[in-house]
Amino acid sequence: MKRPPLIIPETVDVPQARRHTLSNGVNLYAIPSEEFEVLRFTFVFRAGTVVQRVPFSASSTLNMLSEGSERMTARQIAERLDFYGSNFEVNMDRDFVYVTFNTLSKFFTPTLEVAEQILLHPIFPEEELASYREKRKQGLAIERMKVDTIVRENFGKALFGEKHPYGITYPESAYDTLTRNDLTDLYRNRYTADNALIVCSGRIDDQVLKALCSLGEQLPRSGSGAGIEFPKGESTPYRFTQRADAVQSSIRVGRLLFPRTHPDFIGMQVVATVLGGYFGSRLMQNLREEHGYTYGVGSAMINFEQAGYLAVATQVGTEVTASALQEIYREIERLRTEPVSEDELSLVKNIMIGEIMRVLDGPFGIADVTIENILCGKDNEAVTEGVRQIRATTPDDVLRLAQKYLRHEDLITAVAGPQNPLPSWNNP
Amino acid sequence: MITYKNHTLVNGLTVVVNRDRSSKLAAVNLLYKVGARNENPSRTGFAHLFEHLMFRGTHEVPDFDTPVQMAAGENNAFTNNDYTDFYMTLPKDNVETALWLESDRMTGLDISEENLAIEKRVVIEEYKQRYLNQPYGDMQMLLRALAYRVHPYRWATIGLAPEHIAEASLEEVRAFYHRYYHPSNAILSISADIEEERMIDLAEKWFAQIEDSPRPAVEIPQEPSQTEARRQEIERDVPATAITKAYHMGSRTSSDFFLGDLTTDLLAGGESSRLYQHLVKEQKLFANVNAYVSGELDPGLFVLTGQLLPGTTVDEAEEAMQREIDRLQTEKAEPQELEKIKNKFEANTLFGEINVMNKAMNLGFYQMLGDLPLINREVEIYRSHTPEQVVEFCRRTLRPENCSTLIYRARK
Repeated sequence: MKRPPLIIPETVDVPQARRHTLSNGVNLYAIPSEEFEVLRFTFVFRAGTVVQRVPFSASSTLNMLSEGSERMTARQIAERLDFYGSNFEVNMDRDFVYVTFNTLSKFFTPTLEVAEQILLHPIFPEEELASYREKRKQGLAIERMKVDTIVRENFGKALFGEKHPYGITYPESAYDTLTRNDLTDLYRNRYTADNALIVCSGRIDDQVLKALCSLGEQLPRSGSGAGIEFPKGESTPYRFTQRADAVQSSIRVGRLLFPRTHPDFIGMQVVATVLGGYFGSRLMQNLREEHGYTYGVGSAMINFEQAGYLAVATQVGTEVTASALQEIYREIERLRTEPVSEDELSLVKNIMIGEIMRVLDGPFGIADVTIENILCGKDNEAVTEGVRQIRATTPDDVLRLAQKYLRHEDLITAVAGPQNPLPSWNNP
Repeated sequence: MITYKNHTLVNGLTVVVNRDRSSKLAAVNLLYKVGARNENPSRTGFAHLFEHLMFRGTHEVPDFDTPVQMAAGENNAFTNNDYTDFYMTLPKDNVETALWLESDRMTGLDISEENLAIEKRVVIEEYKQRYLNQPYGDMQMLLRALAYRVHPYRWATIGLAPEHIAEASLEEVRAFYHRYYHPSNAILSISADIEEERMIDLAEKWFAQIEDSPRPAVEIPQEPSQTEARRQEIERDVPATAITKAYHMGSRTSSDFFLGDLTTDLLAGGESSRLYQHLVKEQKLFANVNAYVSGELDPGLFVLTGQLLPGTTVDEAEEAMQREIDRLQTEKAEPQELEKIKNKFEANTLFGEINVMNKAMNLGFYQMLGDLPLINREVEIYRSHTPEQVVEFCRRTLRPENCSTLIYRARK
């Protein structure tokens, strides 16, 4: 039968979050939608790994928030949250930590009571820390057996430098010297009003809002909100790590660019999507469909607060590692020499717009996007503006950006696997 | 609560639809009742390989993904031991694009020798990436092989060995397509902000002309009762030893499923669960623990698993696991503890209902089980179970002679 006509939404509208500024300066953003029986609230703190002075203290502080408070033991906290089916999760990146509670609206009040203990009164008990250290050490050792983990860490070092806050990693043994003091210090300085914002979505009525505001207002000020001074980055063009027993090699190729606030960020997102941002992308066509080198390959723009980079990531059969790398370089070079066709570009634009719609589906997704926008100093108008920019991108723009930013000599490569595919490169 | 309407087309295709009033997206799910349990023992991994081939194009649409992506859509698929599921989300105005593409590949799949060769390589790389190149990657495979002797659940969907995939022929691909990919072996489910009648009309428009080609079902050999304890020890280059214990239990549609699921939640549902509190936090024997039921169409497994901390011996760990089992068999759970499990189940159900893709997928799944109303009754079923029933289930199920133990030892 005949192919049905296509309709691509002209714009993607996102409800604006309503901002409430609390007496301690914390901003609370609310995106209510009455039709759900659930709600979610997230506390964001500037307390990611860049603020830590002691290895693993940032992740440990975050992960141990729920391991005991002034009024509740770790077990009581877990019991209470589980009892109401409320789901508590923590996430972090280099810059920020995110403490999120999802709850049925009928159990909001008891959930908030536990949230108060977790956010305002954690005590980081010595004994819980001891067993946490052991578990995390073992977990990290397992992670680091994977070529993909090895290459991810090494790629960060190659992009930013071994000592740079965005590139640095630590041996598992650094857990051994982590103390309770390191956690309480970081907590006292960073889980504070000067470093916080709150976002809530779902069934938010006046009563919920009032209760969240009064919790937020209890966050003390620390005066430590000042930005972190970063050392100058030092890139290394190539890093190889040998893992003799691996049956696949893991690869990263990319380069340091700029954060989301840069005027070319969305344009480079288009470039990254053409290259490897979807199932039928050039890299997937080449590496998976034509050559069968891999199960999957992708590329994307990654955003930090003070930096951003483009990365191609894949795992390939060990015997084809060098060939796969050559094909990745070839596809990057092709972006610089041949303009993308109108057909391919409109496909990519539709994919990107569809992806934005999918991320925004439901109140929790809208909250995620709202947080991302706020952290870049924008509001939800940014989504509409982003869609406009994607739609306006021309084949010339793609060519120009690729020529400007993706010169072969600027690319950085990291590989982990049984053999070095580029033995002529110097390895640090 | 998920509202729905269902309808069977003349060719046997079952259609289930749900109107979601808040989403701008449509989710379209097509489930085929074929999985690894339908495979020939010398061609394991075939159902999953075939799922990949469904994206290799038809006479009319040589490339499946491009039209989906042009419609601002996203699609994927998965295969498990029981069924194969193809799913797509796209702006709701483009729902017909999904129906067009799915109806087209239900009849017109066109696989060349070359396409087959490439897809085999992709799947073999997937085999390596997910099962061979990961610490503990082969644990599930070993466990299935130990717990099942006869039933095809003894292999994982990826297959027993990469060679089985490498040897698949084009003729076998065609035969598999004709046997399993036809209307009466499929379920179409949709969730979108579109009137229910209209969705059913659209299903009619795109699928009703497809002819059915039913084939007699092939009998699946059923697993005999296990009568003595089984044990396997292997050694691998991993940092921590892992212990897994699997007990045979009832199928997804039996009442055992709910009792088993409740029990695994008592043991490992969240940080307040028994295994986590006792074995990880108090006794400090394990780094992590888990418990789950496989929930498959034929009788499945109740599984306990955990990774040991460096100072723990296998004997200590097994004794600790056994103490928890003994307790389940002798002491009734406190009402408060059971209430917690039930609340959690209700919350997870409601969290799942805010997403159109989840809803469309679940509608297809419960229709496959043959009990669509169950989708809205499970919370109530969980609530109806008593502590006595849990004890009785554990006595009947968690017996040593019904158990397969896999010791996955860290090489020193």
